[in-house]
Amino acid sequence: MSIEVQQLNKQFQIHVRQAGWTDALRSLFKREYRLVEAVKDISFHIPSGEIVGFLGPNGAGKTTTIKMLAGLLHPTAGQIRVGGYVPFEQKAEFKKMMSLVMGQKSQLIWDIPPMETFLVNKAIYEIEERTFRQTLDELVELLELEPLLTKPTRSLSLGQRMKCELAAALLHRPKILFLDEPTIGLDVHTQEKVRQFIGKYNREHKTTILLTSHYMGDVTALCDRVLIINHGKLLYDGDLKVLTEKLTPYKLLELRLPDVPNIPWNTYGELVAVEEGKVTLRVPRERIPEVSAQFLQQFEVHDLNIEDPPMEEVITLAFQEGSHAS
Amino acid sequence: MLHKYVVLLRMKYVEMFAYQLATIVWMTGAMVQPLITMLVWMNIYPEQEEAFIFYFAVLIFVERMTSAWDVWELEREIREGTFSYQIVRPFHPIHWAIAENFVYKALFFVILLPVWGILAVFVPALRFQLSTLQVLLFLAALIVAAAIRFLFSYSFGLLGFWITKVTAVYGMFEAISLFLSGRIAPLSLLPPLIQKISLYLPFRYMIGFPIEIVTGSIQGTAVMYGFVGAMSWLLFFMIVLSLLWKAGLKKNQAVGG
Repeated sequence: MSIEVQQLNKQFQIHVRQAGWTDALRSLFKREYRLVEAVKDISFHIPSGEIVGFLGPNGAGKTTTIKMLAGLLHPTAGQIRVGGYVPFEQKAEFKKMMSLVMGQKSQLIWDIPPMETFLVNKAIYEIEERTFRQTLDELVELLELEPLLTKPTRSLSLGQRMKCELAAALLHRPKILFLDEPTIGLDVHTQEKVRQFIGKYNREHKTTILLTSHYMGDVTALCDRVLIINHGKLLYDGDLKVLTEKLTPYKLLELRLPDVPNIPWNTYGELVAVEEGKVTLRVPRERIPEVSAQFLQQFEVHDLNIEDPPMEEVITLAFQEGSHAS
Repeated sequence: MLHKYVVLLRMKYVEMFAYQLATIVWMTGAMVQPLITMLVWMNIYPEQEEAFIFYFAVLIFVERMTSAWDVWELEREIREGTFSYQIVRPFHPIHWAIAENFVYKALFFVILLPVWGILAVFVPALRFQLSTLQVLLFLAALIVAAAIRFLFSYSFGLLGFWITKVTAVYGMFEAISLFLSGRIAPLSLLPPLIQKISLYLPFRYMIGFPIEIVTGSIQGTAVMYGFVGAMSWLLFFMIVLSLLWKAGLKKNQAVGG
């Protein structure tokens, strides 16, 4: 069940509203519109079973793209095939093999327990009793839902609700899953749980997953491949590691020493910070072995740490590159 | 299909009892306006007191059985973006609304009927004698009326794909409907020209028509013409709704992240 996107475009007509009394009044009679190109000529292919991260700042066009893939939005131009279907045709077979989770929106019925939504989904997606029980048991166990099933949705915490949202979206065993900010607003512990669950689910069920997130941790933990989008354009499609190496040809080298010697650190690399008992350097990738060997020989080093620069930095650089190119 | 409805009805039933108080307040609150209007007319024509009591009692019943709140729900769901989940599910969202209507109206029915029976013991004006045919025609007209009002309200709700505050426009139509549906006064009390116009507009078939059957103010061919009118509007709004649905989906901006 693959996803195939070719030269996808989406334009919106946005009603322009001016601030201020007279302008607000004027807009009652004369409406001004502005054409916004939310998605411009995006093409990519996601093979069956792959989990791909979709990155971009707010307003980059990620959600718009996902909404087109899920059949919610009608593309202005271009072609989409999701599991062989054209999403916007709204075929029941298409809807039964995919699922959408939006971190900011709830599909659970607000004033009654999540179990009620599960039962409604069971009927709507025509899930067999036995399959339903099996799937539900599995999800309840993996996501630790047992105590939540009978509480009204509105009384659940955000993290508890999100876990129930995931369960509601997976009951019909979709082959393709769109996750739009599934960990937004969650605490670090719950984020980690949700992340682990998504990874495990993908491995065990070979579900094709397209994931957007603001948290780099989600993407680095789950996806080898990323799509980077900004201002509606696809800037990068490929391996996350390759991107990191290409954009940040250095690593962060962290030394822990009892006494920090006063030496010209800049001969080894770019000095990032000197703290009490700790030095951080930005060292070109090819010089890492040589530099670390020298340190270990010359100083009494307690600990030596070599790390890739934080993903945030890589992505920021990717966005900058993209805007230079355009 | 039937199974899906059973599940939706059960869920809506559970949901309804989650808002017990709201449901009761809302049910009784809607009776205030017709009761006041009734008192006004009784004061103007004291000699016809009984007729007005009967008319407005039937009106309260018909109004509750045909009432439509879907425009408010749809507007909120489209504006807040939760409607997206209804679109991605493989079951038309209108079925959720129909199931909800069934559940609430069934509740009104089982509450209003015994209340009527008890009141009739004390208020002679509420006692009536109807032929079986009249009862059947009334029920048929009532179901068609509920369907027209529902489709009208739901179609308006779908306009939410284009306009953000559809309920404002809907409110205007409700105000017109107040006069032309027989809610402010029996249609027979309106000026002849307005009476004539009301025959060709949908509002009479949403409320007034079933009441006229029960009060006996229309008979024979008038009832038949009434059904022709009602069915035409029913068909009209069915077509309008399905066109709006198709066009609306294309227009949909699926707002919100």
